[in-house]
Amino acid sequence: MVELRGVRHRYDGRLVLDLEQFAVPAGAMLAVVGHNGAGKSTLLRLLALLEAPTEGSVLWDGAPVPRRAPTALRRRVTLVEQRPVLLRGTVLENIGFGLRVRGIGRADAYKRTAEVAEQLGLLSLLERRRTELSDGEVQRVAVARALAVRPDVLLLDEPTSSADRAAAGAMYRALSHERAERKARPLTICIASHQLEDAYRWADDIRALADGRLSPVTPENLFRVDLAPAGTDTMSARVGAIDILVTTDRAGPAVLAVPPGDIFVSREPLSSSARNVLKGRVTRVAAHRGGGVAVTADVGVELIAIVTAEACRELALAPDAPVVFSFKASAVRVF
Amino acid sequence: MEFLREGFRRALALLLSGDAEVFGIALLTLKIAVVATVIACGVGLPLGYLLATRRFWGRRAALTAVNTALAFPTVVVGLLLFGLLSRRGPLGGLGWLYTWQAIVVGDVLLALPIAAALSAAAVQGVDPRVRRTAQTLGAGRWLTAWTVAREARFALAAVITAAFGQVVAEIGAAMMLGGNIRGSTRTLTTAVALYTAQGDFGLAVALGLVLIAIALVVNVTLQVLQGRGGG
Repeated sequence: MVELRGVRHRYDGRLVLDLEQFAVPAGAMLAVVGHNGAGKSTLLRLLALLEAPTEGSVLWDGAPVPRRAPTALRRRVTLVEQRPVLLRGTVLENIGFGLRVRGIGRADAYKRTAEVAEQLGLLSLLERRRTELSDGEVQRVAVARALAVRPDVLLLDEPTSSADRAAAGAMYRALSHERAERKARPLTICIASHQLEDAYRWADDIRALADGRLSPVTPENLFRVDLAPAGTDTMSARVGAIDILVTTDRAGPAVLAVPPGDIFVSREPLSSSARNVLKGRVTRVAAHRGGGVAVTADVGVELIAIVTAEACRELALAPDAPVVFSFKASAVRVF
Repeated sequence: MEFLREGFRRALALLLSGDAEVFGIALLTLKIAVVATVIACGVGLPLGYLLATRRFWGRRAALTAVNTALAFPTVVVGLLLFGLLSRRGPLGGLGWLYTWQAIVVGDVLLALPIAAALSAAAVQGVDPRVRRTAQTLGAGRWLTAWTVAREARFALAAVITAAFGQVVAEIGAAMMLGGNIRGSTRTLTTAVALYTAQGDFGLAVALGLVLIAIALVVNVTLQVLQGRGGG
């Protein structure tokens, strides 16, 4: 549907995005994960046709998009920014903005506005102005505003960053509802998030971005770190409240990935060659899309390990259960 | 101090009696100021928007030029236009020298940089997400500009006030291009200068008070307009 080809994007000469190819297929439910500053927001702005790449091209249905994208094409894709702003006026006027600019009649616009407002639990806020809303409410209004225009592609930048659990649930239910309703012309969604939970819950395709490039490793357990010498052949990286030992000859700033399949999960510390032994508690257990079970634990930082369903049962892994994650210093990927 | 008091007394009497000359001068000044402000802002505000939002080659130079033009001395603008509009000048055929239209041209040249430079600053002050939001929701060029302008309405109203203030209060171009002809091109500022020089202090003060009153009414009107509608 929309594709970036040979894109290199710079701000003031600084390379922020470098993608040989990035395609968002029609009807996909795609998540782009990566730490803050990885280039996710820039990527979404390019996909939303709000900016033209410094180098390379954007293709829509295979055809190159001119540097100044035509309004008709721009109307097929809508972006909800990470910290969205509401325009002057009420919530009702904000949700109806995109419908008004498309020349949709007042009655139809109101009907559609009420429909999305209801899905996102905003009916009681329709007459409020932006100064009378919380950050989470603003975010929900922004999602409603984007859904109202029935775009072909919906781009969401950290859509639940200001939302509480219930609001995030409402948001995802509204998205699912919209997708289910539009079987003939499926809604394509691309979410940028640094919360892996978001990505794993909703996406059927997850891609990782690190320093503006697509990361070759699985996107879980990705951290931006500073490597400092810790031994003769190891480096230490501070991640959250813990130190991770890594076998590398690199020092200084780097991106670390701990492959979830390389983490040993146990209830008690193992006597093994693993240099990283981290104690914590399980926060989430969910089926992994690629097979097995994804066990998320807070071990000073949130890490995900993939285990078999049998191992999960045997170890009685459930939320709040004590757990030990172990992995070798050489298993940690550095790039 | 006596002559000052006498001046105010005379001014009050002239204003209350509805003196035809005072009102004639005031009306002409208002006409010139409104026409010049409308033209200067009509061109200057979109120009300011483009300078603030478009990235094009020479943009920085254009911004510098507009900002420099802010400090253009009014007599220099008068002199330049005098040369252009005089009988031997390239625009002499228009026959505009010593007409109110010539003053309008001079005032537009003086107010245009104000409208462009200050509106560019006003638009740059608007959160860039507003523009992106309007665009991503499908607004075209004009509607996007309108949405941004709505966010910057207070600053833009101040731009219009500043442009009007420049036009209504300047004297250099009005004197050189209008010629201060009684009943034809005499504006409040040129009249105040003339009557003060002639020693008719009362008339000068009366006209000065009218000038201040016009400025006050314009400001209050804009403030009332700004006050309508909340966030």
